[in-house]
Amino acid sequence: MSTSVTPGALAGTVGAPAGATSSRRARRRRRFRPAVDLPLLALLAAFILPIGWLVVLAVQPGRNIVSPDWEFGFTTANVLELLGPGRPFAAQLGNSLMIVAGTIVLCLVVGSATGYALSRLTMARWVTLTLLALSAVLPLIPPMALVPGLYVTLNSFGLLGTVQGLILLNTVFNLPFAALLMKVYFDGVPGELREAALVDGASELRVFVQVMVPLARSGLAAVAVFVGIMAWNEFLMGLVMTSGGRTSPLTVGIASLVQPYEVAWGSMAAAGALATVPIIVLAVVANRQIISGLTGGAVK
Amino acid sequence: MTAALPRTSASTRRSRARSPLHGGRFGLVAVLPFVVFMLLFAVYPLVQVVRMALSHVEIRGGQFLWDFGTLANFARMFGDALAGSSAVTTAVFIAATVPLTLVLGTLLAVLVDRSELFGPVARNLALWPAVVAPVVVSLIWLLILSPTVGVLNRVLVDVGLPPQGWLGSEVGAMVSIILVDVWHWTPVVFLLVYTALKGIDDQILEAARVDGANERQVFWRVVLPLLTPALAAAALIRLVMGVKAFDEMFLLTRGGPNDATTLVSLHIRNVFFDRLELGYGAAFSLTVVVFVMLVLLVSVLVRRTARQGGAAA
Repeated sequence: MSTSVTPGALAGTVGAPAGATSSRRARRRRRFRPAVDLPLLALLAAFILPIGWLVVLAVQPGRNIVSPDWEFGFTTANVLELLGPGRPFAAQLGNSLMIVAGTIVLCLVVGSATGYALSRLTMARWVTLTLLALSAVLPLIPPMALVPGLYVTLNSFGLLGTVQGLILLNTVFNLPFAALLMKVYFDGVPGELREAALVDGASELRVFVQVMVPLARSGLAAVAVFVGIMAWNEFLMGLVMTSGGRTSPLTVGIASLVQPYEVAWGSMAAAGALATVPIIVLAVVANRQIISGLTGGAVK
Repeated sequence: MTAALPRTSASTRRSRARSPLHGGRFGLVAVLPFVVFMLLFAVYPLVQVVRMALSHVEIRGGQFLWDFGTLANFARMFGDALAGSSAVTTAVFIAATVPLTLVLGTLLAVLVDRSELFGPVARNLALWPAVVAPVVVSLIWLLILSPTVGVLNRVLVDVGLPPQGWLGSEVGAMVSIILVDVWHWTPVVFLLVYTALKGIDDQILEAARVDGANERQVFWRVVLPLLTPALAAAALIRLVMGVKAFDEMFLLTRGGPNDATTLVSLHIRNVFFDRLELGYGAAFSLTVVVFVMLVLLVSVLVRRTARQGGAAA
């Protein structure tokens, strides 16, 4: 702190009474300010209450849900019935988990190799430009527009209706983002480390696997979180590429319950909560990765 | 030595990276999987869509019959009332949801930034809607808007207002899907704006306050102009999301009533899967893709010109 700053800060405090200078902010830490906090709480309530309502309904007996009065109870019957042997949900849950795991692994391996190449390796200009163009254009295309072409492609590989097929499709749609995000993270790793390792006689592959990838692990975490959320939530490809029932992911199973005049409200809410709670736990745990991923990838 | 170090090391790094000694073969191996994936699952399907759009496609006895070399599919678009109305519906949907999410997201970002008591918790909670699956979002809002068990009408009755047919009327359904989309995607705008807000140098704000600006002036004259790039990026992202929007409308309204909420994605789906008119569906989706790219290209060019104008001034 140089002395020239202090008079300025003082002048700011005097000249603008409403302004919270940094020194005042530090002193007033953790104070309730109605003009800020009340609208914030109202907005947060609007965001959280619908999700809360879903979870509440998931544990309500059916008659409480349809009752016009406000009655609340607790039951695990909805969830247990949903996961029972006669229903496809346990199988769909397994499919979704496999799709998420497979997509994350493929996106991390292929995405980090591509991101590294874009960031650090010499390539012909047209290769780089093609890669970037592909990565920029694919997210603009409504996935629905590609469905017929993808259907034919999966069919010719014999992967239609399989978990492997859905892993491949989820990977393709998330790969451009994964590669660009990894490029941003590799850009942040000092190039001197790579050069030092090369001078010491390591091969490019070894430098990549043993030096660069470990240094970009926060990027890997951000990619894993994002890709995991996207693959877990994916619906359209699961809908059109599988025949439903035990072959489909959880989202398609839930969608099959969503009907405007459906009577099985309890199962619906339970299925929704089942798909939502893990993803929210992940969002809470990985909040930092989500924010850093978005600042790194989406804005640039 | 010390003063010249950064420039020297940067230039040697660049020249060394360009030397044929490094990169080369490993670079090709590294990008090969990506290229193969993209060729198989992005380029090839896209080429198929283009081919399909220029063909008369029929399904006879489980076999696809292609008749390449026609522009009839594109010509048909002008006579298809639903294609026109789905474009208009999408435009209305985007015109409503993009500004609403931008304003709400920015408001939320500013409030979270200012709140000393709830800021850290709010930053976490505010992301929740965006991580919930679109399918589950539809389910949540069905449980709220439903004519039979919907909690919104119950609340309305409790406070003495008449219940509304949210999903049943044309205007109600449109309002509903706008509400759902705003709820779902405001957090994304919040994140983009919030991170940009955090990136603003405190000294700039301090300087403005020293010059006698009050908080309102600081926000409108200093903070908001600094947020413009983030807001523009958010607007573009939301625009693309609006064109791609599918899951919620498909599940909540099925495009109804009377096609009042049939957005372009839903129309493409109906043409492909209900009417099985693959050529026409491909032509329509291709038109949509080209249109989106044109809009993005124009907005990028406008931004660049604006920036150059600002630099020259």
